[in-house]
Amino acid sequence: MAMANNSLGSSFVYVTYIRAPKQKVWDALTMPEFQKLYWFGGHQESDWKKGSSWKMYMPQHGLTDIGEILESDPPNRAVIKWRNEFRPALKEEGYSRCVYELAQEDDLTKLTISHTIEKENAQFIQAVSGGWPRILSSLQAYLETGRAHGDTRTAAQQAHA
Amino acid sequence: MSAYVYVTYIYATPQKVWDAITKPEFARQYWLHYNVSDWKKGSRWEHRNGDDSGTVMIDGTVLECDPPHKLVMTWTRPDRSKEPSRVTFDIAEYNAGLVCLTVTHDQLEHDPAMAASISGGWPKVLSNLKSLLENGKTENIWLTKNKEG
Repeated sequence: MAMANNSLGSSFVYVTYIRAPKQKVWDALTMPEFQKLYWFGGHQESDWKKGSSWKMYMPQHGLTDIGEILESDPPNRAVIKWRNEFRPALKEEGYSRCVYELAQEDDLTKLTISHTIEKENAQFIQAVSGGWPRILSSLQAYLETGRAHGDTRTAAQQAHA
Repeated sequence: MSAYVYVTYIYATPQKVWDAITKPEFARQYWLHYNVSDWKKGSRWEHRNGDDSGTVMIDGTVLECDPPHKLVMTWTRPDRSKEPSRVTFDIAEYNAGLVCLTVTHDQLEHDPAMAASISGGWPKVLSNLKSLLENGKTENIWLTKNKEG
């Protein structure tokens, strides 16, 4: 994964290889019944069509993030316009852009998450760079073994993120 | 890029993750390369190809060794054509039976080609390590092909 900060903005990129077909990875990323199993109880509401709304809910906080589907090409690519809703400092930074890219490489799916915002040293990017490795590690474990990860955040971290 | 960081969470113990990095028979299974050293501060280490040749692909010096939590070493091209970079493995135990492994590859300013190569390599190696420790399966990560061409 790589974080970058410059005058064009901030970005976070994470690549992972999951032993599962691309369609399964896509379903796990987009369907609430799967999300709840590995995304620490959270889920998203969207029909994943271009122009549709997108909302994320977490058990401790209710609605946490809102946005819109900018591009959707199942099971290959999705682009989400994404803004945090419940932490004022992050909400103030405005909309980010999150790109999911999936590619089948033999028995593996290469999943690339690129999250960017047009703001230097954005707190939002700082926050998601802690979250994505936890979520995607849990996703890999869930798809490969049927057992997702427990929540590794401390109680204090859970209260804030 | 001067620093590359990759964080992954694995169902395992710190000792298992440590062994996976430092023991050749373990590393060959998921890295397909392996590391050889006596893992003492100041010692030489070598990163060798797991095929019959055992070619030394990278070598360097162990800068810090605190099993099973921290390992720091220089990462040097055997032909010494570029300044060495540096790799740090941090292994931290979490609740719920999880280990957080952070790989930081920095001091890459003098070797952009190495920076590009390791950014592609670490996700393959560390995803395969996680698969091995969590479900006992691995893939030949250096040969996988994109099915869409």
